[in-house]
Amino acid sequence: MDLRIEHLSKTYENGTRALHDVSLTIPPGMFGLLGPNGAGKSTLMRILATLQEPDSGAAHLGEIDVLRDPSAVRRTLGYLPQEFGLYPKVTAEDLLDHFAVLKGIVDARERKQIVNALFEQTNLESARGKQLGSYSGGMRQRFGIAVALLGRPRLIIVDEPTAGLDPAERVRFLNLLSELGENAVVILSTHIVDDVSDLCSHMAIIDKGEIRLEAEPATAIDDLRGKIWVRAVERAELADYQRDHAVISTKLSAGKTLVRVFAETQPADGFAPAEAHLEDVYFAALRRQPAAA
Amino acid sequence: MSAYRAIVAWELRFYLRRISTWVYFAIFLSIAFFFMLVMAGAWADVNLALGGGGKVMANAPYALTALMPVIALLGVSITAALAGNALYKDYDVHIDPLFYTTPVSKTAFLGGRFTATVIVNVIVTSGIAIGAFAATISPWAHADKLAPFRFMAYAQPYVELILPNLLLTCAIFFALVAFTRQMLPNYVGGAVLLIGYLLAGTIFTDIDNKELAGLVDPFGLRAQSALTQYWSIAEKNHRLVPLAGVLLENRLIWLGVAAAIFAAAFIRFQFSHSANEPLRPPSEESPATGLTEAPDAEIEPLVAPLRVTALPATTQRFDAVGRWVQFRSVFSRSFWRIVRSRHFGVIVAAGLLYLVVAARATGKLFGTTTWPVTYEMEGVLTGSFGIFILVIIAFYAGELVWAERDVHMNQLYDATPISNGITLAAKFCAMALVILALLGLTMVAGILTQIARGYYRFEIPLYIESLLGFRYIDFVLIAAFAFALHVVVNHKYLGHLLVIVFFIGNGLISSFFDQKLFFYGDDSGSTYSDMNGWGPYAWPYFWWKLYWSAFAGLLLVLAAVYWVRGEEDGWGARARLARRRFHGALRRVAAGSAVVWAGTGAFIYYNTNILNIDRSHSEERHLRAERERRYKRFQNVPQPRITSITVAVDLYPSTGDAVINGDYVLRNETASPVDSIHLGIDEDLEIRKLDFGRPAVRVVDDRPRNYLIYRLGAPLAPGDSIVMRFSLGRIRRGFPSEIRDVSVAGTGTFLENAAFMPRIGYDARLELTDEDDRKKEHLPSRPRMRPPTDSATWRTNYVSPDADWVHYDATVSTDPDQLAITSGYLQREWTANGRRYFHYTMDAPIIDLWAFQSARYAVAKDTWTPPAGQTGGPVALEIDYHPAHAYNVKRMLDAMKKALDYYTANFGPYQFHQLRIVEFPRYASFAQSLPNEIPFSESIGFIARVESPNDLDYPFYVTAHEVAHQWWAHQVVGADAQGSTMLSETLAQYSALMVMEKEFGPANMRKFLEYELNSYLVGRSTERQREMPLELGENQPYIHYNKGSLVTYAMRDYIGEDRMNAAIRGFLNAYKFKGPPYPTSLDLVDSIRAATPDSLKYLIGDMFEHITLYELKTDSAVVNAAPGGRYAVDVYVTAKKLRADSLGAETEVPMNDLVDVGVFAKAPTKPDPRIDPEVGVPLYLAKQRVHSGAQKISVIVDQRPYRAGIDPLHKLIDRITFDNTTGVRDRTAFVPRPAARPATRR
Repeated sequence: MDLRIEHLSKTYENGTRALHDVSLTIPPGMFGLLGPNGAGKSTLMRILATLQEPDSGAAHLGEIDVLRDPSAVRRTLGYLPQEFGLYPKVTAEDLLDHFAVLKGIVDARERKQIVNALFEQTNLESARGKQLGSYSGGMRQRFGIAVALLGRPRLIIVDEPTAGLDPAERVRFLNLLSELGENAVVILSTHIVDDVSDLCSHMAIIDKGEIRLEAEPATAIDDLRGKIWVRAVERAELADYQRDHAVISTKLSAGKTLVRVFAETQPADGFAPAEAHLEDVYFAALRRQPAAA
Repeated sequence: MSAYRAIVAWELRFYLRRISTWVYFAIFLSIAFFFMLVMAGAWADVNLALGGGGKVMANAPYALTALMPVIALLGVSITAALAGNALYKDYDVHIDPLFYTTPVSKTAFLGGRFTATVIVNVIVTSGIAIGAFAATISPWAHADKLAPFRFMAYAQPYVELILPNLLLTCAIFFALVAFTRQMLPNYVGGAVLLIGYLLAGTIFTDIDNKELAGLVDPFGLRAQSALTQYWSIAEKNHRLVPLAGVLLENRLIWLGVAAAIFAAAFIRFQFSHSANEPLRPPSEESPATGLTEAPDAEIEPLVAPLRVTALPATTQRFDAVGRWVQFRSVFSRSFWRIVRSRHFGVIVAAGLLYLVVAARATGKLFGTTTWPVTYEMEGVLTGSFGIFILVIIAFYAGELVWAERDVHMNQLYDATPISNGITLAAKFCAMALVILALLGLTMVAGILTQIARGYYRFEIPLYIESLLGFRYIDFVLIAAFAFALHVVVNHKYLGHLLVIVFFIGNGLISSFFDQKLFFYGDDSGSTYSDMNGWGPYAWPYFWWKLYWSAFAGLLLVLAAVYWVRGEEDGWGARARLARRRFHGALRRVAAGSAVVWAGTGAFIYYNTNILNIDRSHSEERHLRAERERRYKRFQNVPQPRITSITVAVDLYPSTGDAVINGDYVLRNETASPVDSIHLGIDEDLEIRKLDFGRPAVRVVDDRPRNYLIYRLGAPLAPGDSIVMRFSLGRIRRGFPSEIRDVSVAGTGTFLENAAFMPRIGYDARLELTDEDDRKKEHLPSRPRMRPPTDSATWRTNYVSPDADWVHYDATVSTDPDQLAITSGYLQREWTANGRRYFHYTMDAPIIDLWAFQSARYAVAKDTWTPPAGQTGGPVALEIDYHPAHAYNVKRMLDAMKKALDYYTANFGPYQFHQLRIVEFPRYASFAQSLPNEIPFSESIGFIARVESPNDLDYPFYVTAHEVAHQWWAHQVVGADAQGSTMLSETLAQYSALMVMEKEFGPANMRKFLEYELNSYLVGRSTERQREMPLELGENQPYIHYNKGSLVTYAMRDYIGEDRMNAAIRGFLNAYKFKGPPYPTSLDLVDSIRAATPDSLKYLIGDMFEHITLYELKTDSAVVNAAPGGRYAVDVYVTAKKLRADSLGAETEVPMNDLVDVGVFAKAPTKPDPRIDPEVGVPLYLAKQRVHSGAQKISVIVDQRPYRAGIDPLHKLIDRITFDNTTGVRDRTAFVPRPAARPATRR
């Protein structure tokens, strides 16, 4: 069951064009939606999570028309927003049970089982009786995942989940996410390339409301293999290089600037071939003019 | 210092650029503009007096001082927002760490912010003065309601009240945020402050507490009103309210409190980062977002990858069962969310505290309480605690609507499959349950109060009926409105504000729209009476509430479709979504509600406007004006007079109907033939038959204007009589818009003759009397009454313009289990057709003033026998009362006997041989004297609780007063002229005072007279037209009752009881059962003048002919030792005597009057009925000449004095009575020294 997004556009009242003619087909499995801050990722996520309305376009989850029949989507939706809070004075156990009811899990015994299982899976077992006000950012994110997983959703939307986490938490959290895609469409939006390369079988890169690239990460990297070149340059020379070459990224290293360049063949002397990374795919996609996409 | 200035300037720029600041300004401006227009007479139908009204100009200093601070106070929520925001804005946008790490000092920072806040508040509230002023120069203001512009009149309220109040409220709200770093306490705080203000008002209703109430009122309004309570109209119009006395003390106290609060906030304020703020408890209002991240102390082990497939399978259900479980979950969560919230506990605790205090003082009259009967408890409970319930509804409706968004959990919640309808319904029902629980709590509190006060007649079903049946639905309707408003407005603070505006505005709107169908939550009224239960109110109430519930249903559907879900909160998007959501169940609910709403609306309209006449105030006024324009020309057309009345009335208690069959014998007592009979028959009476025993044609039939003319076939010759025979139906049809007439009740009928008997001739009493009303109708100004010197007034008495002394015969039938009573003696009682009949006749002519009463009475009987040596036979006494109201029956019987004792001994025999007191329901609260019958409301004595000997026994007083009317109205009645009520009401007061003095002792009279003095002074201060001297009173109660008591009591004191009574008796004997011509007040005054020695004749002018006020003050009193172990007291006094004109403008007149001088020893601590504890034991009490200005009065007494002064018992009219006496400075110890060393001095 695929999620098909067709020609979605959304412009806010203040004139910001958040999405422009976005079309994507997302198969079951982990799908990474990569883009810089303000690219329109969250808008797209919220539209898919039935929390916002596009100006035009359509989206279908299998047979379900996401925009016309939001309640049908919500029955099979797991959504982890980018930022969220929880009732601070309520225990995790109590609130998860409440969310289970909201998701339609009516049978008390079933609810108890699923709540137990989710606390175990998200490793919140020991903290389940605590008030949510005392939860750390990571614990809260994991609680959010537990909420999202209630009712075994077929569409899971995870919006920038690792943004506020420290490295250790982030690893823990990605581990948690990694197996979600077995039976469901899982959309992970992020601006961190590693999140995608570690987890996702499919991806799209979005910038300024438009899709720049839709691909499988491995294939995209393969496409760049042998076409990435690197060279250390003086800072003064940087402008020349940027004018003459397709510079993907620059990075400071030991006082010099490392320039990564996209080229079919060695662009100039001193450039050494480099291993292609997903990051190169990302920056290459962002560098491209929209018209060329 | 420069940092301080910079902060002030920055803040001011910040606020002045904000649109909300100017919105607040505009709110104040428009409220003031609106109120001022109302007071300036812009709306013909609205008479709203906030300080102004009558002859007080709308922009008089007094009126502005009364109005402007109140508007500023209503805006306390705005102050809360502004002041709270002064600090909270930093926390809100998390900029506080940036600010608090700058090198600005705490003093400059807080001082600057506070100063700026106060300045902004002043700017915002300046809208009040500007709005009020703008109204006065607008074309809608009436020039005759306006005084010339005076700058100080607008400035003074700011200096005295608004500005100090702003300093106080700003300090409070500033401190609340500094302490809690939250905004919600301010939302609640604003309401709590307003309530606290209301609180102070109800606790201190007694006159003794006015000064104290003035001091404890944080906003000074009560201090201001204590300062100005006795101001005359002239003073109100011209005098600026001075910053003096209790007002000055109040302002100093509360400015001090403001400073203390600010200091506390200053000390506690932490100039530190809020994330590690140790003072801050985790709370529901501070969202645990990903932004304010607490350090993660726990290190968790690495997690194995999540196996979704390993999760147990679950079934999702979205059928009815699923929805029910979802409903329950949201419902119980929302309920506990409210109940467990800290603020809820605080509000409820405050409410209960208030309730306990308020319940203590139920039904106080003259400082004496009543038994805490259930309906009174219920009234106090919902009246006082109800305010707190409203606050809870206002705030928690918002809290529930915003519950998820406030903690930023809305995206999680909104993405779940619960439907908006269930969410809304569950939250609304939770609120409804909270209200129910609170009402349950009120009931428990009520019962506990009853137990605490020793009252054990618990009427649980009545509690349940009134709390659940009547009050509950009202609160739930308000809750529905608050929910819908919060959802639609979608701005939490604005929502709160609008809900409060709705509470206040709802009451106001009603004065503009007479059609109640447009006035959310309104009904035809509901008054519970112990006698008659809910009477005719219950069913109409049900229909009204059904109508409003259906409307509330529509409101809730509106809320459901406009419910904000997700991120789309623009109006366009919400409208689109709303259209899309409006289908299925919501559409069905809406359709059902609309059908019920329209159906019940039509039904109510049918009842109130088609079955009953529903006229607006202006329509009513206009009809009366037209009646005057059309028919006043007939005023002097010769008409016959009623000489005999035979009436048969059938009362139908269960339906509220009455059928009246009557005969009038009409006799032409004029010198010319009468060719037509003019009649006034109320429009709501059905004329079934009306004939004159001879041919007659109805030539005018103007029912709406209450006028009919029958032309007689043959004129009625002078001296001849005809019989007018009529049959009238007084049928209750459906229910009117406002249920006013409950005179035929299920049990407790009280049907007065004026309500159904035809009037003969043009009745001038129905003309408009209010000068404003007459102006609006372009009618010429009309004196309220004609002077007693006008001999035309002597022709009729002031009670019945168309009859003199009449023969009376009545037959009344009622339900078989009821006792029906009217004036006269029961001749026969029988049962026929399942109805019980009573036939009463009077054996002598009476004044045409009588009524029918019928109820299931308990009867107490007794006999009064005249003391030996007096003429007349025994009198059968009877009290017919509601069986549960036996409390004071003995007391009232006793009062009847004591009164008969005194009156027969001093004035002459009682003309009847029976006297009955007959209770009626509390739809009216008065007692009235009819020939040998006294209808007596259940609310003014039957449930009074007189316990301590110093309690004012008002059942006794009211009884004595009414018994006296058997002489003063039923033996002698005044002409239809100014001052005539003095002949009935003032003499009845005097008579009652004499009986009370005999019964309770002179020491217990001062307290009663002080109430009379207060009522008189307040009465003259709120007079709408003009104050008259006692002998020319124009049916003004504060003159004929309250001033009448003071004057006659004082006259008695000056000339002695025997002379006074002889004078009154002389007057009575001259006019007993006589008239026309009827006597006037001047005849009585002449009689008293004749009995007054020449040395005291000045009193007649001062007391009866003029408005005289004294300013008597004891500056100091010193006691020195006198020979023989006695005490020489020197009392230094200042005296002044003033005459006031009808508007209260005063001129000083020279004084050389006899005034009581008193020296008192301390009262013993043990209560003694012979000693007034507030005055003490008199050592010397005698009249001495006191002249204008300062003087010394010396008195020698035998015992050590404690207090001394002039007019200590307040017999003269003096606005400040507490300074009449003063403590005596004891210098007896110093005496020997100057006496021992006279030689060394020279």
